[in-house]
Amino acid sequence: MDGLHLLLKKLIRTGAGRSRFALAIVGLSVAMLLILASVQIQSNYNDLLHSKTNQDSIANFLVLNKILSDKNIGATALSDNEITDLKKQPFVESIGLLSPSRFKASIQSNSERFPFYTDIAFESVPGDFIDVAGKDWKWDPNAQLVPIIVPNMFLDFYNFQFSFSQNLPQLTQQVVKMIIFKINVYGPNGVISFNAHVVGLSDRISSLLVPEEFMSWGNSHFGKNQDTKPSRVIIRTKDPGNPELVQYLKEKGLGTDADKTRFSRYRQVVDMVVTISGITGIIMLVFALLIFSLFIQLTIASCKEEIVLLITLGASPKQLRKFLMQQFFPVNVLIIVVSIIIISVLQLATHQILLRQHIFVSSYPSFNIFITSLAVLILIWWVNRKYISQYISLSAKK
Amino acid sequence: MTIEFDHIVPTPLKDRFLQRTSEIWNNSVLLKQGEFIKIKAPSGTGKTTLVHILYKLRHDYEGDVRINNIELSGLKEDALAEMRQQQFSIIFQDLRLFPNLTARENIELKRVLQVPYYDAGVIDTMAQALGVSHILEQKASLCSYGEQQRIAIIRALVQPFTWLIMDEPFSHLDADNTYKAARLIEAECRKRNAGMIITDLDDDDHFKYTRQLTL
Repeated sequence: MDGLHLLLKKLIRTGAGRSRFALAIVGLSVAMLLILASVQIQSNYNDLLHSKTNQDSIANFLVLNKILSDKNIGATALSDNEITDLKKQPFVESIGLLSPSRFKASIQSNSERFPFYTDIAFESVPGDFIDVAGKDWKWDPNAQLVPIIVPNMFLDFYNFQFSFSQNLPQLTQQVVKMIIFKINVYGPNGVISFNAHVVGLSDRISSLLVPEEFMSWGNSHFGKNQDTKPSRVIIRTKDPGNPELVQYLKEKGLGTDADKTRFSRYRQVVDMVVTISGITGIIMLVFALLIFSLFIQLTIASCKEEIVLLITLGASPKQLRKFLMQQFFPVNVLIIVVSIIIISVLQLATHQILLRQHIFVSSYPSFNIFITSLAVLILIWWVNRKYISQYISLSAKK
Repeated sequence: MTIEFDHIVPTPLKDRFLQRTSEIWNNSVLLKQGEFIKIKAPSGTGKTTLVHILYKLRHDYEGDVRINNIELSGLKEDALAEMRQQQFSIIFQDLRLFPNLTARENIELKRVLQVPYYDAGVIDTMAQALGVSHILEQKASLCSYGEQQRIAIIRALVQPFTWLIMDEPFSHLDADNTYKAARLIEAECRKRNAGMIITDLDDDDHFKYTRQLTL
């Protein structure tokens, strides 16, 4: 610290109004925590909604189809115009066509000990819309195995109803994935069999899913009707509870899983928490800045005589401002650094707690935290500088 | 650096000052670099007012003061600070020391307010020359007025300047101390090729004045 700084420190005592200073620090700390927390919650929320890697995403996927009535029996296909119109809607983030198998197929067990056989139909959907697709999720005519994704409710139905009635053992997901069974595809030239296995169980689409490659191969070789329009589409939307979406579906006579709209309630709660936390943080920040400015005013007023004499002797407002900024500003940096550390620790804890529930959020704080902190720091710096300059000028004018 | 008074009259005292003759008030005067100017004036004729106008502490006057042909009234805060750090050094009549700082700290503050002209050792040398070494570590408020006056003189001499402005700087010093202070001041002015403006009530021979003006 240079000599001038030491002498100024002796002259301009920042002791006056310490309690006010402490109050401003507490206020600013709480404000920063609230603001950064709201930014982090928003960021986690967006991660959960939009991250493609999220295994158990709460992003909303809705399978849409025409509601079957007496009038449209046999005409439930969605036209190109209807699909294009759907794509244009603001609430639709992306759209995928569900292709049904147009060939007859059955599955049967390879094992004598555990016999089963059933006729079956498949669907396929673009990979982006599947939540459990892994590296096995592909197929080509030379592949040994056809991967299949099964709705969770099929397994639940088997485990909790079928197995009891047939006196069969209950099966875990792991066991199901280990079973190799046979798919028979019936074409005009006879039956072709493939080995198949379950690669994942999903809640998202209530159909047996096969890779698109297998579906297009099967449909082109064995399909009975080559020019079939899709009857079902899957859309990705931010908020299935969006009134516009609900209204649109109603107008177009489209149906979906109404149960999913329940999630929108939770979303609205998250939104509200983020908004309230953010607004409270901003209000507290404003108050903290106000108290800070009062503290600066009080400090300068309490050593007004010294400041006037310093200026009289030739101290420049720039020198005094620099000194006062050094007195008042570092504590703000400290508050923000501590807030970032607290948020980082909380984020790590959140990451670990949610991981147990198979919900993935980053273990690191969002980059937005740092941008927000920098923005707030610049704001505080500007406010401090403005008030210090203003009060020094007032003092100088006596 | 030249100083020019161009028909300046303090507004509140305008009527009174215009009724009598003065070599400065309502007159045109040019002070050249390095001149030793004595301004003699009886009480109540505006010595301190003139010093404060020149040091830009007062703005309530008519006419212009020009420093190197630049109007003083137009100087902004930072330029004014620069002028007080580099060009104008001052000894106030009321001294204006910080009462809570020691004598040494009062001087040191002025020394380090800009890039130092002297190193810190010069404070002891000057204090010894003026006989105030023993009170350097004492709070200014506890020093006698005569001691404070010498501290104020030393404070004015540790900074760079081209003009030294003094408002009755020896009012509380005896003849011996006045002589010592005057020699130190003269030496410092000569060293810098600086001019001085000194105001006092009576005639004196403290310095070899180049001009004596009556206020």
